[in-house]
Amino acid sequence: MALELCQCDMESDLYVPRPAQVVAVEPQTPMETLVRFKFPDGADLGHKPGQFVQIFIPGIGEAPISVCSAPNAECTFDLTVRKLGDVTGALHRLQPGDTVGIRGPFGNGFDMEALQGYDLVIVGGGIGLVPLRSVIQYVADHRADYANVHLLYGFKSPVEQMYVDELAQWQADCDMDVRLTIDKPHDAWDGHVGVITTLFPDLTIVPPRTYALVVGPPIMYQFVITECRLKGLADDHIIMSLERRMRCGVGKCGHCQINSKYVCMDGPVFTFSDVKHLWEAI
Amino acid sequence: MTVRVIDKHGVRKLVEKLQQEAKVVAPHRREGRDQWSFQEVTDPDLICLEYTTSCLPPKEFAFPPRETLLRYQREPEFAAEAVIQSEPIILFGVHPCDIYALESLDIAYCADHGDPNWIARRQQMRLVGVDCIPDEWCFCAAMGTATVDSGYDLFLNNLGDGSYLVEVGTEAGEEMLEGIELREASAEEIAHVKKRLTQRVKQERKINDETRNLPLHFSGKAQSEVWEKHAERCYSCGTCVLVCPTCYCFDVVDEVALTLKEGTRERIWDGCMLESFAEVASGENFREERAQRLRHRHFRKYAYLFTKYGRPFCCGCGRCVRQCLVHIDPVAIINDLIAESKGGVSRGA
Repeated sequence: MALELCQCDMESDLYVPRPAQVVAVEPQTPMETLVRFKFPDGADLGHKPGQFVQIFIPGIGEAPISVCSAPNAECTFDLTVRKLGDVTGALHRLQPGDTVGIRGPFGNGFDMEALQGYDLVIVGGGIGLVPLRSVIQYVADHRADYANVHLLYGFKSPVEQMYVDELAQWQADCDMDVRLTIDKPHDAWDGHVGVITTLFPDLTIVPPRTYALVVGPPIMYQFVITECRLKGLADDHIIMSLERRMRCGVGKCGHCQINSKYVCMDGPVFTFSDVKHLWEAI
Repeated sequence: MTVRVIDKHGVRKLVEKLQQEAKVVAPHRREGRDQWSFQEVTDPDLICLEYTTSCLPPKEFAFPPRETLLRYQREPEFAAEAVIQSEPIILFGVHPCDIYALESLDIAYCADHGDPNWIARRQQMRLVGVDCIPDEWCFCAAMGTATVDSGYDLFLNNLGDGSYLVEVGTEAGEEMLEGIELREASAEEIAHVKKRLTQRVKQERKINDETRNLPLHFSGKAQSEVWEKHAERCYSCGTCVLVCPTCYCFDVVDEVALTLKEGTRERIWDGCMLESFAEVASGENFREERAQRLRHRHFRKYAYLFTKYGRPFCCGCGRCVRQCLVHIDPVAIINDLIAESKGGVSRGA
């Protein structure tokens, strides 16, 4: 028998989801809903901001979804999902009391300790704000550990704005500089209009003491990264979270591979210097 | 330890003995064709130990094309349990290239998280190797897999008269031989096998550099014209992935009982040459073009996994090119890349 087989610890429950219960459902937009979960035994998920879980809807299927809440005393965790496929469609039909299966947390997450003491520019495009919410909540909970915090959030139209109350609260109570923009003018909007990069010219940052955390649709990265570099940020100060299709979450199924990197194991959080030479990354 | 020989009669006895202990799977000729497949042995006389390459590798006995990972119930309340199926099994008559491939997947499936289903099957598997008959497509010598020195319990070297020189790889292999009549090998027989093995590494199908330099020749070749040149003929049918002994990607699907009260999760073989493989929920496809997929598959085998695990994730069996409708050939691709590295002109596939 091969050496690997003798020395390897078989993880019998590698593909087995734990039951978790829906404790709250908070619709965000016509397309996005936030669902809050808790394990029946009160156990903590034990995740870091930026990690993801595989959520299993019995009878429908499994999908990788970013955890969008920071670890908390209630041991709940939130997922915000856009209605796109079978699993996310089923997630939109969940009611408090329903049970789903959870595997994970998986992935590396953001290294929040390494960011302590730095200014943060958090850039979320559309549902890219979802994984960043776990970071923002974490920063709000440990506000003294971080210096200036700017949050740039762009979305298509006012109706697509998520976390409306929380955004106001982060601005008012958490000493965060929250800047919103919508893509095109709208009657119900008197704020900034323009794609997310149009928020950069007014932003003053000090590159050596600043990290940018960027999550958005694939098309957004190259433009936002260009803006960050124009502001003088080094490539290893630009941090992003990438999305890929996943089946296993544990580095086996091959779906999430970006060149030699597995998003589920090596990511989903990468610095731009990690991935700039990978032609499949962005 | 003396070198021993098992004759034709002994091989039959050995198979019959092993059948008492476990399911025995061995190469069989497909009726009326020069094709072989691994099948459960019903009659030891039907085993064909002298064969070129089986259509499908024996990988399926450790990683079935479809297997259940999980059984769950939805009602009265959600509960799920792992399904890890395995049984004692003996693969009898496996070529060095396929042994190398199984060992490669041991490395990949044990890395980081130990895949329970693979490990359970492999832990109950014993393996009897046999030396091979090269054909026009294989290139094991180029991958360094023409011979193996591990991964088998017993290895049989053909002496040409129906008898085999026996190498014992493990204690389990020694136990297999208990009660089987063997004789000591003569000096001529040992010399015969040595000569055979020496010839084995002198294959015609060669890559034009050392195997260990492969990742270097892939470095900087993402934009090479080589990919478009070879992918131009690709039908994206996925046959190369289907028949590959070192491919281990999979998809996961859900099966629900008609009662809707219970179901299973199944994993099925999947492949990066198929168009939907790298598609994400938003509809974005990160490898939409054939050339991108061909490039990824070859980078994975000869650069990414090679660098990560220290060995090529290709055993040189040649099944991909043999069974490809248009014979897209990794040897030609690699030699084109090597020619490009050396600044030479590529002479075509």
